[in-house]
Amino acid sequence: MMKTMKALLGVLLLILCGLTFAPNTALAHGEKALEPFIRMRTIQWYDVMWSKDTLNVNDEVVITGKFHVAEDWPRAVPKPDATYLNVSSPGPVFVRTERYLNGQASVSSAALKLGGDYDFKIVLKARLPGRYHLHPFFNLHDAGAVMGPGHWFEVAGEPAAFTNQVKTLDGNAIDMETYGLANGIGWHVFWFALGTAWLLWWVRRPLFIPRYKMLQSGQGKWLITSLDRKIAMGILFGVPLFVLGANAMTDRQYPNAIPLQAGMDQIEPLPLAVNDGMVKVKVQRTEYHVPARSMTIIAQIQNTSDQSIRIGEFATANVRFLNPGVSSSGTDDADTVIAPQGLSLDSADPIRAGETRTVRVTALDALWATQRLDGLIRDADSRMGGLLFLYDTNGKRHIASISTAVIPKFD
Amino acid sequence: MTAKALEIPPLPYTGEKARLTRAYDYLILVLALFLFIGAFHLHVALTVGDWDFWVDWKDRQWWPLVTPLMMITFPAAVQSLLWSNFRLPMGATLCISCLLIGSWIARIFAYHLWNYFPINEVLPATMLPSALVLDVILMLSNSLTVTSIFGGIAFALLFYPSNWPIFGMFHVPVEYGASQLTIADLFGFQYIRAGTPEYLRLIERGTLRTYGQYATPLSAFCSALLCTLMYPLWWYIGKAFATTRFVKNI
Repeated sequence: MMKTMKALLGVLLLILCGLTFAPNTALAHGEKALEPFIRMRTIQWYDVMWSKDTLNVNDEVVITGKFHVAEDWPRAVPKPDATYLNVSSPGPVFVRTERYLNGQASVSSAALKLGGDYDFKIVLKARLPGRYHLHPFFNLHDAGAVMGPGHWFEVAGEPAAFTNQVKTLDGNAIDMETYGLANGIGWHVFWFALGTAWLLWWVRRPLFIPRYKMLQSGQGKWLITSLDRKIAMGILFGVPLFVLGANAMTDRQYPNAIPLQAGMDQIEPLPLAVNDGMVKVKVQRTEYHVPARSMTIIAQIQNTSDQSIRIGEFATANVRFLNPGVSSSGTDDADTVIAPQGLSLDSADPIRAGETRTVRVTALDALWATQRLDGLIRDADSRMGGLLFLYDTNGKRHIASISTAVIPKFD
Repeated sequence: MTAKALEIPPLPYTGEKARLTRAYDYLILVLALFLFIGAFHLHVALTVGDWDFWVDWKDRQWWPLVTPLMMITFPAAVQSLLWSNFRLPMGATLCISCLLIGSWIARIFAYHLWNYFPINEVLPATMLPSALVLDVILMLSNSLTVTSIFGGIAFALLFYPSNWPIFGMFHVPVEYGASQLTIADLFGFQYIRAGTPEYLRLIERGTLRTYGQYATPLSAFCSALLCTLMYPLWWYIGKAFATTRFVKNI
């Protein structure tokens, strides 16, 4: 019995050591956690790029990209009246120094318009060395975070080398890393010392049992001395006077202090980049074949441009299904959410200028499952959305935002 | 003669009796220290939360309303126990000191060392001046009613001016991204945090604009009124949940 117990204890100890000394780093940011219909039919990201992925502390990386705000916004998701373009990272290993929406500098939240097209630029400055996975993402008020594509970054250098100087409107240059720290610690130490002195004033004398018995035997008046009362009176008047004095001095020291800012940025959408009217796509039926992990979209495509076009890509929730027969722009083979052979058509013939044709597009890859998009068929809103990329003979790109109900096929 | 004899203070415990009761004091104090560090810190993290965590949440409207209201709770309950049974006027100071110990541990280890936030972005607020005044009002008045009214009011009203010397400098304006921001706002923009973006901050919302730019005093007085009600509520919660039946048996 003892041997068994010892063996059990040994195994538990080994497990504990394993858990303690060999933890796996959490790399995900919940990008697959949100329900598929929200990821597919809210913010539709594309052309997201990074200026570099290897840098030193204090170097800057620029993230650029575009997104379309889906017209078929889910009914269950509040409209994007308050949204925030953010960056998902393991803490502030980078600092965000600039952010632009449609070329306009933006530091606050903004409302987005359904069907609107936007581009963005985020400048990040490396703060801490390490290897990090970053995503641009949108916080949608009351809906959650809709992740954009992710990318790995290597930061080299020393943490102590990081600098972050900012100039105030008073003309003073401040270091954001240390600003106000000594002052804050000083005040905390001062008040903590005063509080501790008050506690020690009482703790130094016998406490619980003697005091309780005295109180119960009607001798409570001896428990508070006249000196206690004098000190208490000093605190009663001294502390508020000191607080108000320090408050007034701070007011004089920072006469231009302002409240925290709570405004929203006003950003107008760009001229239409998606659903620009040159190519019209009307989805007639969409089926998801569960065993094959393939989505088949039957759509009527009307080409009103003056060039023949071919379907090159279908993108949804950051998963890109590419047609290998058409060269697409912005292909990043290192990205794990690309299916390079994932898109096939019932006919390889281009859709001629002026032609309207019904096509059968199949997006087939295990990514439907691994990215947890196949959960759509069990969602309360079994509709799918995404961007269809079509290219003409000159390489010009037309983008259509599509949306459709999805019928599952289980056999 | 009898009346005069009663004026002689009782003799203190001596010998083994004194040593044992003192050991008991230290035992309880150490346990109380850890209990209040853990329990009160958890309570404040769950109720005040972001208002105490981040410098760019410490606004002039909700911060001075929520913080005193949620922080008068444990002090009232512990005062009820320590004053009613032991005539110890240190319940509020003890609780707030424990809270600050817990807060500083969390800010240094969880926020700074684990999550890389600069400590100046996550400085906690202090309520020690308010707690000291609350303790002495109870001691001098020996009255729940007086402490509820005047102690509750003082606890709330002293909060903002106590903390302005710490946080006022974070309200200096800067021009950034073609906007005017406070340095505190700039912390929120620059030092990326995924879970609490700008729009989620519950700042400056409400109808206090009716009174011009004097949002802080209005919030503070509103908090003061609510603290006068919160104080007796938690006094009785403390009374109900604390028991001295073990001491009675000694």
